[in-house]
Amino acid sequence: MKKVIGLVIVCFLVYNSVYFKKLSEQSASESSKFNFVAYADSIYNQGILKQAKPIALADLQKELGKNTENAFSQFGNRLGIGQTAYFMVSVDGTVLNKTVDGFEVKTTDGNIYPIDIKFIFGNAIRDASKLVKLTDFKTNADFNKVSEELNNVIREKAIPAQLSTLTVGDKVEVVGAIKQSKKDALPILILPANITKL
Amino acid sequence: MNKELLKKSQSLIALFALCLVISILSDKFMTSSNLWNVLRQISVNICISVGMTLVVLMAGIDLSVGSVLAFSSAVCAGLLSKGISIPSMDLFIGFTVLGGVLVALIVGLLMGLFNGWVITKFSLPPFVATLAMLTIARGATMLYTQGIPISNLGSSFEFIGSGWLLGIPVPVWISLFVVLSVVFITNKTTFGRYIYAIGGNERAAFLSGINIKAVKLAVYGISGMMAAVGGILVTSRLNSAQPNAGASYELDSIAAVVIGGTSLSGGIGTIAGTVIGATIIGVLNNGLILLNVSPFWQQVVKGLVILLAVIIDQKSKKKA
Repeated sequence: MKKVIGLVIVCFLVYNSVYFKKLSEQSASESSKFNFVAYADSIYNQGILKQAKPIALADLQKELGKNTENAFSQFGNRLGIGQTAYFMVSVDGTVLNKTVDGFEVKTTDGNIYPIDIKFIFGNAIRDASKLVKLTDFKTNADFNKVSEELNNVIREKAIPAQLSTLTVGDKVEVVGAIKQSKKDALPILILPANITKL
Repeated sequence: MNKELLKKSQSLIALFALCLVISILSDKFMTSSNLWNVLRQISVNICISVGMTLVVLMAGIDLSVGSVLAFSSAVCAGLLSKGISIPSMDLFIGFTVLGGVLVALIVGLLMGLFNGWVITKFSLPPFVATLAMLTIARGATMLYTQGIPISNLGSSFEFIGSGWLLGIPVPVWISLFVVLSVVFITNKTTFGRYIYAIGGNERAAFLSGINIKAVKLAVYGISGMMAAVGGILVTSRLNSAQPNAGASYELDSIAAVVIGGTSLSGGIGTIAGTVIGATIIGVLNNGLILLNVSPFWQQVVKGLVILLAVIIDQKSKKKA
Protein backbone atom coordinates (compact mmCIF):
# COMPACT_ATOMS: atom_id res chain seq x y z
CA MET A 1 0.00 0.00 0.00
CA LYS A 2 2.81 2.36 0.96
CA LYS A 3 4.52 1.69 -2.38
CA VAL A 4 1.33 2.51 -4.29
CA ILE A 5 0.88 5.80 -2.42
CA GLY A 6 4.56 6.64 -3.02
CA LEU A 7 4.22 5.90 -6.70
CA VAL A 8 1.09 8.07 -6.98
CA ILE A 9 2.91 10.97 -5.27
CA VAL A 10 5.94 10.60 -7.57
CA CYS A 11 3.70 10.48 -10.67
CA PHE A 12 1.82 13.57 -9.45
CA LEU A 13 5.05 15.49 -8.84
CA VAL A 14 6.60 14.53 -12.19
CA TYR A 15 3.37 15.34 -14.08
CA ASN A 16 3.30 18.82 -12.52
CA SER A 17 7.04 19.41 -12.89
CA VAL A 18 7.78 19.02 -16.56
CA TYR A 19 6.10 19.57 -19.90
CA PHE A 20 7.14 18.42 -23.34
CA LYS A 21 7.07 20.31 -26.61
CA LYS A 22 8.51 19.90 -30.06
CA LEU A 23 11.78 21.79 -30.13
CA SER A 24 10.75 23.47 -33.40
CA GLU A 25 7.55 24.77 -31.75
CA GLN A 26 9.49 26.01 -28.76
CA SER A 27 12.01 27.79 -31.00
CA ALA A 28 9.14 29.40 -32.92
CA SER A 29 7.50 30.66 -29.73
CA GLU A 30 10.90 31.92 -28.51
CA SER A 31 11.46 33.84 -31.72
CA SER A 32 8.00 35.42 -31.49
CA LYS A 33 9.09 36.93 -28.17
CA PHE A 34 10.52 40.41 -28.06
CA ASN A 35 13.58 40.64 -30.29
CA PHE A 36 16.06 42.85 -28.49
CA VAL A 37 18.63 42.68 -31.28
CA ALA A 38 16.17 43.94 -33.90
CA TYR A 39 14.83 46.56 -31.51
CA ALA A 40 18.33 47.88 -30.73
CA ASP A 41 19.14 47.88 -34.43
CA SER A 42 16.06 49.99 -35.21
CA ILE A 43 16.76 52.35 -32.29
CA TYR A 44 20.21 52.93 -33.73
CA ASN A 45 19.47 53.13 -37.44
CA GLN A 46 16.02 54.73 -37.38
CA GLY A 47 16.35 56.61 -34.12
CA ILE A 48 19.83 57.74 -33.19
CA LEU A 49 21.06 58.26 -36.76
CA LYS A 50 17.89 59.93 -38.05
CA GLN A 51 15.88 61.41 -35.20
CA ALA A 52 18.31 62.19 -32.38
CA LYS A 53 19.07 65.88 -32.16
CA PRO A 54 22.45 66.22 -30.53
CA ILE A 55 23.48 69.57 -29.15
CA ALA A 56 26.94 70.91 -30.01
CA LEU A 57 29.16 70.22 -27.02
CA ALA A 58 30.35 73.84 -26.86
CA ASP A 59 26.72 75.07 -26.78
CA LEU A 60 25.84 72.60 -24.05
CA GLN A 61 28.79 73.71 -21.95
CA LYS A 62 27.69 77.33 -22.32
CA GLU A 63 24.13 76.45 -21.30
CA LEU A 64 25.34 74.40 -18.35
CA GLY A 65 27.33 77.39 -17.13
CA LYS A 66 24.45 79.83 -17.72
CA ASN A 67 21.39 77.84 -16.62
CA THR A 68 22.12 74.35 -15.37
CA GLU A 69 18.50 73.44 -14.62
CA ASN A 70 17.41 74.39 -18.13
CA ALA A 71 20.33 72.55 -19.73
CA PHE A 72 19.43 69.41 -17.80
CA SER A 73 15.70 69.56 -18.51
CA GLN A 74 16.02 70.57 -22.18
CA PHE A 75 18.99 68.52 -23.36
CA GLY A 76 19.59 65.90 -20.70
CA ASN A 77 17.91 62.69 -19.70
CA ARG A 78 18.05 61.22 -16.22
CA LEU A 79 16.10 58.21 -15.09
CA GLY A 80 16.57 58.29 -11.36
CA ILE A 81 16.52 60.98 -8.73
CA GLY A 82 20.31 61.51 -8.83
CA GLN A 83 22.22 64.62 -9.79
CA THR A 84 23.58 63.24 -13.06
CA ALA A 85 22.10 63.02 -16.57
CA TYR A 86 23.18 61.87 -20.00
CA PHE A 87 23.36 64.20 -23.00
CA MET A 88 23.66 63.46 -26.71
CA VAL A 89 26.29 65.85 -28.05
CA SER A 90 28.17 66.50 -31.27
CA VAL A 91 31.68 67.77 -31.85
CA ASP A 92 33.31 68.83 -35.10
CA GLY A 93 37.05 68.54 -35.42
CA THR A 94 40.10 66.96 -36.95
CA VAL A 95 41.45 63.46 -36.33
CA LEU A 96 44.65 64.09 -34.38
CA ASN A 97 45.91 60.52 -34.07
CA LYS A 98 44.53 57.00 -34.34
CA THR A 99 44.70 53.91 -32.14
CA VAL A 100 43.30 50.41 -32.63
CA ASP A 101 40.12 51.21 -30.74
CA GLY A 102 39.64 54.89 -31.45
CA PHE A 103 41.22 58.26 -32.07
CA GLU A 104 41.66 61.73 -30.62
CA VAL A 105 39.70 64.58 -32.10
CA LYS A 106 40.85 68.19 -31.96
CA THR A 107 37.88 70.56 -32.09
CA THR A 108 37.85 73.93 -33.84
CA ASP A 109 38.13 75.67 -30.46
CA GLY A 110 41.32 73.72 -29.68
CA ASN A 111 40.01 71.10 -27.23
CA ILE A 112 41.17 67.52 -27.61
CA TYR A 113 38.82 64.61 -26.78
CA PRO A 114 39.56 60.88 -26.88
CA ILE A 115 36.95 58.90 -28.84
CA ASP A 116 37.27 55.26 -27.94
CA ILE A 117 35.09 52.14 -28.00
CA LYS A 118 37.08 50.62 -25.12
CA PHE A 119 35.26 52.84 -22.61
CA ILE A 120 32.45 51.35 -20.54
CA PHE A 121 29.28 52.37 -22.35
CA GLY A 122 26.75 51.17 -19.78
CA ASN A 123 23.39 52.84 -20.36
CA ALA A 124 24.88 56.12 -21.65
CA ILE A 125 23.79 55.97 -25.31
CA ARG A 126 20.36 54.51 -24.53
CA ASP A 127 19.61 57.22 -21.99
CA ALA A 128 21.19 60.11 -23.88
CA SER A 129 19.13 59.23 -26.98
CA LYS A 130 15.86 59.71 -25.01
CA LEU A 131 14.34 57.16 -27.38
CA VAL A 132 13.86 54.26 -24.96
CA LYS A 133 11.53 54.52 -21.99
CA LEU A 134 11.65 52.37 -18.86
CA THR A 135 7.84 52.13 -18.82
CA ASP A 136 7.90 50.29 -22.16
CA PHE A 137 9.52 47.26 -20.49
CA LYS A 138 8.26 44.82 -17.92
CA THR A 139 11.48 44.54 -15.97
CA ASN A 140 14.68 46.48 -15.39
CA ALA A 141 16.56 43.51 -16.82
CA ASP A 142 14.70 43.90 -20.14
CA PHE A 143 15.34 47.63 -20.12
CA ASN A 144 19.04 47.02 -19.56
CA LYS A 145 19.08 44.35 -22.25
CA VAL A 146 18.29 47.15 -24.73
CA SER A 147 21.47 48.93 -23.65
CA GLU A 148 23.43 45.74 -24.00
CA GLU A 149 22.25 45.15 -27.58
CA LEU A 150 22.48 48.83 -28.52
CA ASN A 151 26.07 48.94 -27.27
CA ASN A 152 26.76 45.80 -29.31
CA VAL A 153 25.44 47.42 -32.50
CA ILE A 154 27.59 50.49 -31.91
CA ARG A 155 30.78 48.91 -30.63
CA GLU A 156 30.86 45.78 -32.74
CA LYS A 157 29.47 47.03 -36.05
CA ALA A 158 28.93 50.76 -36.56
CA ILE A 159 31.99 52.41 -35.02
CA PRO A 160 34.62 49.86 -36.14
CA ALA A 161 33.37 50.25 -39.74
CA GLN A 162 33.49 54.03 -39.49
CA LEU A 163 36.90 53.98 -37.80
CA SER A 164 38.43 51.91 -40.58
CA THR A 165 37.83 54.71 -43.11
CA LEU A 166 39.44 57.44 -41.01
CA THR A 167 42.95 58.77 -41.39
CA VAL A 168 44.83 61.38 -39.41
CA GLY A 169 43.86 64.87 -40.53
CA ASP A 170 40.31 63.95 -41.60
CA LYS A 171 37.56 66.39 -40.70
CA VAL A 172 34.88 64.56 -38.72
CA GLU A 173 31.66 65.05 -36.79
CA VAL A 174 31.33 62.81 -33.74
CA VAL A 175 27.94 62.26 -32.13
CA GLY A 176 28.02 60.61 -28.75
CA ALA A 177 26.83 60.52 -25.17
CA ILE A 178 28.33 62.32 -22.21
CA LYS A 179 27.44 62.32 -18.54
CA GLN A 180 27.21 65.49 -16.50
CA SER A 181 26.34 66.28 -12.92
CA LYS A 182 24.38 69.22 -11.56
CA LYS A 183 26.64 69.31 -8.53
CA ASP A 184 30.14 69.31 -10.04
CA ALA A 185 31.18 69.41 -13.68
CA LEU A 186 32.41 65.96 -14.71
CA PRO A 187 35.32 65.47 -17.15
CA ILE A 188 34.06 65.24 -20.74
CA LEU A 189 34.15 61.63 -21.94
CA ILE A 190 32.38 61.18 -25.26
CA LEU A 191 31.02 57.68 -25.85
CA PRO A 192 30.66 57.62 -29.63
CA ALA A 193 27.41 56.65 -31.33
CA ASN A 194 28.24 57.85 -34.85
CA ILE A 195 31.25 59.28 -36.68
CA THR A 196 30.75 61.10 -39.96
CA LYS A 197 33.55 62.15 -42.29
CA LEU A 198 32.95 65.77 -43.33
CA MET B 1 17.93 24.05 38.86
CA ASN B 2 18.01 27.83 38.25
CA LYS B 3 21.64 27.63 37.13
CA GLU B 4 20.76 24.87 34.67
CA LEU B 5 17.88 26.91 33.25
CA LEU B 6 20.12 29.98 32.97
CA LYS B 7 22.76 27.94 31.14
CA LYS B 8 20.19 26.56 28.73
CA SER B 9 18.77 30.00 28.07
CA GLN B 10 22.06 31.85 27.61
CA SER B 11 21.65 32.20 23.80
CA LEU B 12 18.10 33.48 24.21
CA ILE B 13 19.23 35.98 26.85
CA ALA B 14 22.03 37.11 24.53
CA LEU B 15 19.49 37.60 21.72
CA PHE B 16 17.19 39.71 23.92
CA ALA B 17 20.14 41.76 25.17
CA LEU B 18 21.31 42.33 21.60
CA CYS B 19 17.82 43.42 20.49
CA LEU B 20 17.55 45.74 23.47
CA VAL B 21 20.92 47.40 22.80
CA ILE B 22 20.26 47.86 19.07
CA SER B 23 16.74 49.19 19.63
CA ILE B 24 18.17 51.77 22.06
CA LEU B 25 20.85 52.81 19.57
CA SER B 26 18.61 52.82 16.47
CA ASP B 27 14.95 53.81 16.36
CA LYS B 28 14.53 51.98 13.03
CA PHE B 29 15.29 48.55 14.45
CA MET B 30 11.95 47.87 16.10
CA THR B 31 9.84 48.95 13.12
CA SER B 32 7.67 46.19 11.66
CA SER B 33 9.15 46.55 8.17
CA ASN B 34 12.68 46.10 9.53
CA LEU B 35 11.74 43.12 11.69
CA TRP B 36 10.02 41.39 8.75
CA ASN B 37 13.10 42.13 6.69
CA VAL B 38 15.34 40.54 9.34
CA LEU B 39 13.10 37.46 9.48
CA ARG B 40 13.13 37.16 5.70
CA GLN B 41 16.93 37.40 5.64
CA ILE B 42 17.56 34.91 8.43
CA SER B 43 15.22 32.36 6.82
CA VAL B 44 18.01 31.34 4.43
CA ASN B 45 20.57 30.91 7.20
CA ILE B 46 18.07 29.03 9.37
CA CYS B 47 17.44 26.47 6.61
CA ILE B 48 21.16 25.92 6.02
CA SER B 49 22.02 25.95 9.73
CA VAL B 50 19.37 23.37 10.58
CA GLY B 51 21.08 20.92 8.21
CA MET B 52 24.47 21.94 9.57
CA THR B 53 23.26 21.27 13.13
CA LEU B 54 22.58 17.62 12.29
CA VAL B 55 26.09 17.34 10.84
CA VAL B 56 27.73 19.03 13.83
CA LEU B 57 25.67 16.90 16.24
CA MET B 58 27.48 13.92 14.68
CA ALA B 59 30.80 15.69 15.31
CA GLY B 60 31.10 16.46 11.60
CA ILE B 61 31.26 19.67 9.59
CA ASP B 62 29.96 20.66 6.16
CA LEU B 63 31.95 23.43 4.51
CA SER B 64 30.30 22.91 1.14
CA VAL B 65 26.84 24.33 1.91
CA GLY B 66 27.49 27.74 0.30
CA SER B 67 28.72 26.22 -2.95
CA VAL B 68 26.00 23.55 -2.98
CA LEU B 69 23.50 26.38 -2.54
CA ALA B 70 24.97 28.18 -5.56
CA PHE B 71 25.05 25.12 -7.82
CA SER B 72 21.59 23.81 -6.98
CA SER B 73 20.05 27.26 -7.43
CA ALA B 74 21.91 27.75 -10.72
CA VAL B 75 20.58 24.42 -12.04
CA CYS B 76 17.08 25.37 -10.89
CA ALA B 77 17.30 28.78 -12.62
CA GLY B 78 18.82 27.28 -15.76
CA LEU B 79 16.02 24.73 -16.09
CA LEU B 80 13.32 27.31 -15.41
CA SER B 81 14.65 29.75 -17.97
CA LYS B 82 15.97 27.46 -20.70
CA GLY B 83 14.63 23.96 -20.05
CA ILE B 84 16.36 21.07 -21.81
CA SER B 85 16.60 20.90 -25.60
CA ILE B 86 17.25 17.61 -27.40
CA PRO B 87 17.71 18.58 -31.08
CA SER B 88 18.18 14.98 -32.29
CA MET B 89 14.65 14.12 -31.07
CA ASP B 90 13.15 17.57 -31.81
CA LEU B 91 12.21 17.60 -28.14
CA PHE B 92 12.05 20.42 -25.63
CA ILE B 93 11.56 19.60 -21.94
CA GLY B 94 10.28 22.61 -20.02
CA PHE B 95 10.19 22.88 -16.23
CA THR B 96 7.47 24.36 -14.04
CA VAL B 97 8.36 26.10 -10.78
CA LEU B 98 7.65 22.83 -8.95
CA GLY B 99 9.96 21.01 -11.36
CA GLY B 100 12.79 23.52 -10.91
CA VAL B 101 12.46 23.40 -7.14
CA LEU B 102 12.41 19.59 -7.05
CA VAL B 103 15.48 19.32 -9.27
CA ALA B 104 17.33 21.83 -7.06
CA LEU B 105 16.46 19.76 -3.98
CA ILE B 106 17.60 16.56 -5.68
CA VAL B 107 20.87 18.21 -6.78
CA GLY B 108 21.49 19.42 -3.22
CA LEU B 109 20.64 15.98 -1.84
CA LEU B 110 22.97 14.21 -4.28
CA MET B 111 25.86 16.55 -3.51
CA GLY B 112 25.31 16.02 0.20
CA LEU B 113 25.14 12.25 -0.30
CA PHE B 114 28.40 12.42 -2.23
CA ASN B 115 29.98 14.20 0.75
CA GLY B 116 28.67 11.48 3.04
CA TRP B 117 29.84 8.72 0.72
CA VAL B 118 33.38 10.12 0.48
CA ILE B 119 33.55 10.57 4.27
CA THR B 120 32.30 7.07 5.11
CA LYS B 121 33.85 5.14 2.22
CA PHE B 122 37.37 6.59 2.44
CA SER B 123 37.29 7.59 6.13
CA LEU B 124 38.23 11.13 5.17
CA PRO B 125 37.90 13.90 7.75
CA PRO B 126 34.63 15.76 7.02
CA PHE B 127 36.57 19.03 6.94
CA VAL B 128 38.67 17.86 3.99
CA ALA B 129 35.89 16.08 2.09
CA THR B 130 33.47 18.99 2.28
CA LEU B 131 36.25 21.49 1.56
CA ALA B 132 36.84 19.62 -1.68
CA MET B 133 33.12 19.75 -2.46
CA LEU B 134 33.18 23.48 -1.72
CA THR B 135 35.54 24.07 -4.66
CA ILE B 136 34.01 21.39 -6.90
CA ALA B 137 30.50 22.84 -6.55
CA ARG B 138 31.70 26.42 -7.00
CA GLY B 139 33.63 25.46 -10.11
CA ALA B 140 30.62 23.54 -11.43
CA THR B 141 28.47 26.62 -10.85
CA MET B 142 30.88 28.79 -12.82
CA LEU B 143 30.95 26.22 -15.63
CA TYR B 144 27.17 25.91 -15.73
CA THR B 145 26.50 29.67 -15.64
CA GLN B 146 29.66 30.72 -17.49
CA GLY B 147 30.02 33.26 -14.70
CA ILE B 148 26.88 35.11 -15.80
CA PRO B 149 23.75 35.45 -13.62
CA ILE B 150 20.62 33.64 -14.86
CA SER B 151 17.75 36.11 -14.56
CA ASN B 152 14.04 36.60 -15.26
CA LEU B 153 12.74 33.43 -13.68
CA GLY B 154 9.10 34.50 -13.60
CA SER B 155 6.78 35.99 -11.01
CA SER B 156 5.49 32.66 -9.68
CA PHE B 157 9.04 31.61 -8.80
CA GLU B 158 9.72 35.07 -7.34
CA PHE B 159 6.75 34.53 -4.97
CA ILE B 160 8.75 31.91 -3.03
CA GLY B 161 11.35 34.44 -1.91
CA SER B 162 9.41 37.70 -2.01
CA GLY B 163 5.75 36.79 -1.51
CA TRP B 164 3.54 37.02 1.57
CA LEU B 165 1.13 34.38 2.87
CA LEU B 166 -1.38 35.19 5.64
CA GLY B 167 0.56 38.37 6.41
CA ILE B 168 3.88 36.55 6.85
CA PRO B 169 6.72 36.37 4.27
CA VAL B 170 6.79 33.03 2.41
CA PRO B 171 10.48 32.35 3.32
CA VAL B 172 9.51 32.53 7.00
CA TRP B 173 6.82 29.87 6.44
CA ILE B 174 9.33 27.69 4.60
CA SER B 175 11.97 28.00 7.31
CA LEU B 176 9.31 27.30 9.94
CA PHE B 177 8.33 24.12 8.08
CA VAL B 178 12.00 23.08 7.80
CA VAL B 179 12.63 23.73 11.50
CA LEU B 180 9.54 21.83 12.67
CA SER B 181 10.36 18.90 10.40
CA VAL B 182 13.92 18.61 11.69
CA VAL B 183 12.81 19.11 15.31
CA PHE B 184 10.44 16.19 14.78
CA ILE B 185 13.25 14.09 13.26
CA THR B 186 15.70 14.81 16.09
CA ASN B 187 13.25 14.46 18.97
CA LYS B 188 10.69 11.91 17.87
CA THR B 189 12.47 9.42 15.63
CA THR B 190 15.07 6.72 16.20
CA PHE B 191 17.10 8.28 13.40
CA GLY B 192 17.33 11.48 15.48
CA ARG B 193 18.47 9.49 18.51
CA TYR B 194 21.11 7.80 16.35
CA ILE B 195 22.52 11.19 15.36
CA TYR B 196 22.97 12.18 19.02
CA ALA B 197 24.36 8.73 19.84
CA ILE B 198 26.98 8.89 17.06
CA GLY B 199 28.01 12.41 18.11
CA GLY B 200 28.19 11.43 21.77
CA ASN B 201 30.32 8.32 21.28
CA GLU B 202 30.72 6.88 17.80
CA ARG B 203 32.38 3.68 18.99
CA ALA B 204 29.64 2.97 21.52
CA ALA B 205 27.00 3.73 18.89
CA PHE B 206 28.66 1.28 16.50
CA LEU B 207 28.83 -1.43 19.14
CA SER B 208 25.17 -0.94 19.97
CA GLY B 209 24.32 -1.86 16.37
CA ILE B 210 23.69 1.54 14.77
CA ASN B 211 24.49 1.63 11.05
CA ILE B 212 26.83 4.60 11.32
CA LYS B 213 27.62 4.85 7.62
CA ALA B 214 23.94 4.98 6.66
CA VAL B 215 23.15 7.64 9.27
CA LYS B 216 26.13 9.77 8.20
CA LEU B 217 25.18 9.42 4.55
CA ALA B 218 21.62 10.52 5.30
CA VAL B 219 22.69 13.45 7.48
CA TYR B 220 25.09 14.86 4.87
CA GLY B 221 22.34 14.33 2.29
CA ILE B 222 19.91 16.34 4.42
CA SER B 223 22.53 19.06 4.88
CA GLY B 224 22.96 19.32 1.09
CA MET B 225 19.21 19.46 0.60
CA MET B 226 18.83 22.20 3.22
CA ALA B 227 21.50 24.18 1.38
CA ALA B 228 19.41 23.76 -1.77
CA VAL B 229 16.34 25.10 0.08
CA GLY B 230 18.43 28.13 1.03
CA GLY B 231 19.50 28.45 -2.61
CA ILE B 232 15.91 28.42 -3.81
CA LEU B 233 15.02 31.18 -1.32
CA VAL B 234 17.99 33.35 -2.31
CA THR B 235 17.43 32.86 -6.05
CA SER B 236 13.73 33.55 -5.94
CA ARG B 237 14.26 36.61 -3.74
CA LEU B 238 16.63 38.06 -6.35
CA ASN B 239 14.72 36.47 -9.26
CA SER B 240 18.20 35.61 -10.49
CA ALA B 241 20.80 32.91 -9.84
CA GLN B 242 24.17 34.47 -9.10
CA PRO B 243 27.31 32.39 -9.76
CA ASN B 244 28.87 33.67 -6.53
CA ALA B 245 25.75 33.15 -4.41
CA GLY B 246 26.25 31.63 -1.00
CA ALA B 247 29.90 32.60 -0.66
CA SER B 248 30.84 32.37 3.05
CA TYR B 249 27.36 31.13 3.99
CA GLU B 250 29.04 28.07 5.51
CA LEU B 251 30.68 30.34 8.06
CA ASP B 252 27.39 32.01 8.98
CA SER B 253 25.70 28.66 9.41
CA ILE B 254 28.53 27.22 11.52
CA ALA B 255 28.42 30.41 13.59
CA ALA B 256 24.65 30.01 14.08
CA VAL B 257 25.10 26.40 15.17
CA VAL B 258 27.91 27.20 17.62
CA ILE B 259 26.25 30.32 19.04
CA GLY B 260 23.09 28.25 19.46
CA GLY B 261 24.95 25.99 21.86
CA THR B 262 25.68 22.94 19.70
CA SER B 263 28.99 21.42 20.68
CA LEU B 264 31.53 21.15 17.85
CA SER B 265 32.62 17.80 19.29
CA GLY B 266 29.11 16.45 18.78
CA GLY B 267 26.32 14.92 20.81
CA ILE B 268 25.02 18.13 22.40
CA GLY B 269 22.77 20.74 20.86
CA THR B 270 19.28 21.57 19.73
CA ILE B 271 17.58 22.90 16.62
CA ALA B 272 15.91 25.60 18.73
CA GLY B 273 19.35 26.75 19.82
CA THR B 274 20.47 26.97 16.19
CA VAL B 275 17.40 29.05 15.29
CA ILE B 276 18.32 31.44 18.09
CA GLY B 277 21.94 31.45 16.88
CA ALA B 278 20.87 32.28 13.32
CA THR B 279 18.61 35.02 14.67
CA ILE B 280 21.50 36.48 16.68
CA ILE B 281 23.66 36.58 13.52
CA GLY B 282 20.81 38.15 11.52
CA VAL B 283 20.01 40.75 14.18
CA LEU B 284 23.72 41.51 14.57
CA ASN B 285 24.11 42.01 10.80
CA ASN B 286 21.01 44.19 10.64
CA GLY B 287 21.97 46.19 13.72
CA LEU B 288 25.48 46.89 12.47
CA ILE B 289 24.05 48.10 9.14
CA LEU B 290 21.48 50.32 10.89
CA LEU B 291 24.24 51.77 13.04
CA ASN B 292 26.30 52.55 9.93
CA VAL B 293 29.17 50.35 11.03
CA SER B 294 31.68 49.74 8.24
CA PRO B 295 31.29 46.34 6.53
CA PHE B 296 34.90 45.57 7.47
CA TRP B 297 34.12 46.09 11.16
CA GLN B 298 30.99 43.98 10.76
CA GLN B 299 33.20 41.02 9.84
CA VAL B 300 35.42 41.65 12.86
CA VAL B 301 32.46 41.87 15.24
CA LYS B 302 30.88 38.70 13.85
CA GLY B 303 34.18 36.86 14.23
CA LEU B 304 34.51 37.99 17.84
CA VAL B 305 30.97 36.85 18.64
CA ILE B 306 31.73 33.38 17.23
CA LEU B 307 34.96 33.24 19.20
CA LEU B 308 33.12 34.18 22.37
CA ALA B 309 30.50 31.49 21.74
CA VAL B 310 33.17 28.79 21.28
CA ILE B 311 35.03 29.90 24.43
CA ILE B 312 31.78 29.67 26.44
CA ASP B 313 31.15 26.24 24.91
CA GLN B 314 34.62 25.02 25.92
CA LYS B 315 34.35 26.44 29.43
CA SER B 316 30.97 24.86 30.08
CA LYS B 317 32.34 21.51 28.85
CA LYS B 318 35.29 21.72 31.23
CA LYS B 319 32.92 22.46 34.12
CA ALA B 320 30.79 19.45 33.17
